[in-house]
Amino acid sequence: MKYLIVIVTIMFLSSCLRLDDNLYNLTDKITEYKLDNYTGEQDFILDNSYHIPDSLIHVFTLSSKTVNESSAKTIYAIYIGQISRIQTDTVIMYCHGNKWHMDFYWQRAKLLAHTSGKNKYGVLMIDYRGYGLSEGSPSEDGLYADADAALQWLKLKGLSDNRLMMYGFSMGTAPVCELTNKSRSMIPSKFILEAPFASADVMANDGSGLNMPGSFFTNLKIDNAEEIKTINQPFCWIHGTNDNFLNINSHGEVVYKNYHGIYQEAHRIPGADHGEIPVKMGFDNYLNTLSTFIKK
Amino acid sequence: MLRLIALVSFIGIMFQNCAPTRFVKPLAKNQNAISANLGGPLIHFGKPVIPIPFTSFMYGRGLTNSTTAFASVHTTAMLYGNFQTDIGVCQRLYKHDSLKFGITLNPAVNMVYDKWNNNFRAWPQLDVNVYKDILKDKAFVYIGLTNWFELSSKKAHNEVQKNHALINPHIGLTYNTKKWGYTLECKFLQMNSKNKPNVVDYVGIQKKGAVGIYLNFCRRF
Repeated sequence: MKYLIVIVTIMFLSSCLRLDDNLYNLTDKITEYKLDNYTGEQDFILDNSYHIPDSLIHVFTLSSKTVNESSAKTIYAIYIGQISRIQTDTVIMYCHGNKWHMDFYWQRAKLLAHTSGKNKYGVLMIDYRGYGLSEGSPSEDGLYADADAALQWLKLKGLSDNRLMMYGFSMGTAPVCELTNKSRSMIPSKFILEAPFASADVMANDGSGLNMPGSFFTNLKIDNAEEIKTINQPFCWIHGTNDNFLNINSHGEVVYKNYHGIYQEAHRIPGADHGEIPVKMGFDNYLNTLSTFIKK
Repeated sequence: MLRLIALVSFIGIMFQNCAPTRFVKPLAKNQNAISANLGGPLIHFGKPVIPIPFTSFMYGRGLTNSTTAFASVHTTAMLYGNFQTDIGVCQRLYKHDSLKFGITLNPAVNMVYDKWNNNFRAWPQLDVNVYKDILKDKAFVYIGLTNWFELSSKKAHNEVQKNHALINPHIGLTYNTKKWGYTLECKFLQMNSKNKPNVVDYVGIQKKGAVGIYLNFCRRF
């Protein structure tokens, strides 16, 4: 019995398996960004009326380093718009979700570039480290560092805080909440969360049906539901009522309820599943909603 | 994000259902038993269908002829830095000698402690089984319910915990030799939860839950 207790104790203390590394969805490997020529799975494909001229599409790299890293990682970014106009334009920083790469999210970024009119606002999107062609392996710190590297670039190009809008979809809501709550390079003037998740605890609760803490399976500290409590900027929340992955009640409503800032608006989209919001809303309605919020 | 949710569901199922019913029939007084079990929810792994191989070990001892105490260690949970155990008793409620069937109840408590954040949780469990001896008492079949209870009125972010009972039906067969017992059990896990779309391709029923298959090897002494 004594030996059994020793073995069990050693096994428990030495065990180190975590699901963290498996949480990031990098399964579709690419060798180049194809954008409009990408033929893989996408949530939707826009018609030619949403075409963006090549002269307004800029694919480039950024350097990003977390506090604990000795060397920077090279990550990829796409800016839609005239870079020279960043000094005067409003810019939407789009933080994409957990799936694959920017080719998958290209149609979404292109759609955002039509907010308030074609190319009225600039749109910046990045592939976090490990996603798409960006170097390195994904991590929570890396998400924040990479998004902040993008904000540093915007600041360098002349963007001021009052013209910065942060938009996060799904996993991308984590860097938006983090960098809005604990500003680094820039302070966003407004933020939009599409299908946000609340926290690892909520995911564990939903997955098990029990009051199970997220720490039983992951070391992720992402906690949008708590982080949003101290954010003051105007907030727009969009969530599908039929979201099978991030339940609107356990995730979205909690995040929305915990916001205590100066302005909030909610758009619960009937019948929309995760990733279906622009389609279910209709592109025009979706863009009008964003435009109205940004102009408020 | 889809992957993340699937993995969380996977772990949620793992914690609740990594083991079959501990005892369907109590041991004889002062009899001991150790068992190892393997199995979990069925998934499509490429073309074949396989059970996720969760493992745990258990020790039991007959306190009386109708009451057996048991305790376990969940080895798969342990690999993730969680110490999980279920401790309880198997209590015979009714036995009909001529019809060779009986009813037993397994009240237990499941406890999990994680070494990462020092979080601790405990959930009561109550399994109910009805068994019927067959093959000249060398084997028995049983059906029952594995029930977990959430006593907390709140869940994450102080939200109200609405669901307080998780009910998983099961059916099983145990074949006994003089010293050994071999059990095959099938559960319908999280029968009220949708299982599609999901990255982990669970084999469920009507797109709900997951069918779990478990093998248990028990040595009595």
